[in-house]
Amino acid sequence: MNRRFALLIGLGALLAGRTASAQEVTIGYQGLPSKSSGESNTGIQVADGVLLHAGVGVEAGYDTNVFYAPSNTVGSSIFRFMPYAEITNATRTGPVSKELTFDARAGLQYRHYGNSEVSNAGFADSWNPNAGLSLNLGGAQFGLGVADVFARIEDAPYANPTNSNTNGVPSGAPSIQRDNNQASIEGRWSPGGGRLTGVLRFTNMVNIYDNNGMGTYSYANAMTNTLMLDVAWKWLPKTAIFLNVSQSYVDYFNQTAAANNSIANSYPLYVTAGLRGLLTEKTSAVLTVGYVNAFYSTGASTTGFLGSTYLDLAFTARLTQLSRAVVGFRHDFLNAVITNFAYEETAYASYVQQIAGRLGLDLSGRYAYLSYQGDAGDPTQEGRVDNLFQIGATLDYFLRNWAYLGVGYSFLDNRSNKPNDEYLKQQVFARLGVTY
Amino acid sequence: MGGTVFAQGSAPEAPPAPGSQAGSSVDLSVKQRPTLTPADMVNQSKEYFTGMGAVVKRIQTLQDQAKREKDIIRLNCVTDKLVQARVNVNIAEQSMATMQESISRNDEGEQTHEFTRLTIVNQKVTVLGAEAENCIGEDLSFVGATRVDVEVDPNIPQYDPTQPGSPFIDITRPPSASPID
Repeated sequence: MNRRFALLIGLGALLAGRTASAQEVTIGYQGLPSKSSGESNTGIQVADGVLLHAGVGVEAGYDTNVFYAPSNTVGSSIFRFMPYAEITNATRTGPVSKELTFDARAGLQYRHYGNSEVSNAGFADSWNPNAGLSLNLGGAQFGLGVADVFARIEDAPYANPTNSNTNGVPSGAPSIQRDNNQASIEGRWSPGGGRLTGVLRFTNMVNIYDNNGMGTYSYANAMTNTLMLDVAWKWLPKTAIFLNVSQSYVDYFNQTAAANNSIANSYPLYVTAGLRGLLTEKTSAVLTVGYVNAFYSTGASTTGFLGSTYLDLAFTARLTQLSRAVVGFRHDFLNAVITNFAYEETAYASYVQQIAGRLGLDLSGRYAYLSYQGDAGDPTQEGRVDNLFQIGATLDYFLRNWAYLGVGYSFLDNRSNKPNDEYLKQQVFARLGVTY
Repeated sequence: MGGTVFAQGSAPEAPPAPGSQAGSSVDLSVKQRPTLTPADMVNQSKEYFTGMGAVVKRIQTLQDQAKREKDIIRLNCVTDKLVQARVNVNIAEQSMATMQESISRNDEGEQTHEFTRLTIVNQKVTVLGAEAENCIGEDLSFVGATRVDVEVDPNIPQYDPTQPGSPFIDITRPPSASPID
């Protein structure tokens, strides 16, 4: 299912604009804002009904643990520079109902560590581009949508006592480079008065780890194809019960390398049902329960009552017109790279507050329990259990509706039954930018 | 005729019938005799008929207009004025005929009396024309096209929260591993 807690690098808005859902909330440190928290009315009119948004932001701060090490940590100053551009036929106040809507966006994140030890090890700089395109055709009864999103991240490798030098810098492990492209096409059908809606969607995701060698993940390069059918019946205008069936196929490109690392192809199946939409004028929910089976071709697979159960409970409350709170819990499994999979229990919360249309506060946190199952390529990783705590906080003040400055804080704490995999990482930032 | 006068309210009274008590109490002949010859009366009466015909035609136009607009209130009002105007035109035609007969008999009193009736009837038709123009029908109660104002609680999201979520791209950092390539 959706990995809603991913680092979105500004792409969330692109997809959320296509089929916005109240429950899709980004947890953790929030990227630079692309819009004022109030009525922004930004964008350059480049043609009739076409707006160009563009911006650039910089962040400077400190990272306490560049290499996610359990001890002997290496801290460094950190600098990030992020330009972006977006072209859309949405209006300045947001998407509007049209027979044709489109949104194309591209951005880049440049990151630099100032610590000379990090520089000398070759991990000082990284370039992380991202791009996305979405296109929607059709009206109220029939609709067709296509979308493609690409993102790349490059980050410093993990360090632990077995692979790092006396200064805590990993020796021999290249940086982690991950490229991900996700394309999707969907058809929407809503006959009659729109009480019954159906969505048939095909998604193709290609996941590539670039580097080879120790501490890299190229053996896990894979393609995932997913076919999803969602049927919803609205018994109220903004509230529906639904049935969702999703079948995926995860195919590793290098079967030999995958087998050597004890991971295998799989055919995850989800059959879920529940409720989506408003409970009251100010409260909405996604309540989902269902059956799940990972169907791994070899090795361990999801079993038992808990292993076959999917549960997603998310509540959103608009406390005031300028504030929103989200709490949620999810029980799922996660296709992993160190074993076939991990059972995942996640609890999260988010609070967003706007003040006078100028100030935007975002607080969020998550706890994730990950229990890795089955054989591992590295036998020392078998039976690994991670407890990941994540907190993000940002506060941005818009001097104008196109210029802002702010501060941010990120907290990551992984507590594991494998001591070498534990880490505590904190980042603080001051940030400023323009976006129009 | 009495009914017509009653319906008009402020309209001038129709001239009394020849020889009635009311008619004998008004001495119009003495005043008009020096100013209008019989030929002048005939010519003036013809102008009255031209004017009354134009008024009747105008009221018919207003009636057709009300029919096209399906304005039943205005149509009723205009039709009422049209019926009254036609009745008065008929009276005027009778008076015209009587006046011409009296001219041939050289009966000055009769001439003056019928001409006076024609004058009053002409005035009444003119008033009916003005009243028909002022028939406003549904305009009186017309409040404009139906407009529905929907006030939505600003807390209710504008998007459709019942739709399935979009697929999210997964670019999370993978967990630490010591793979065997």
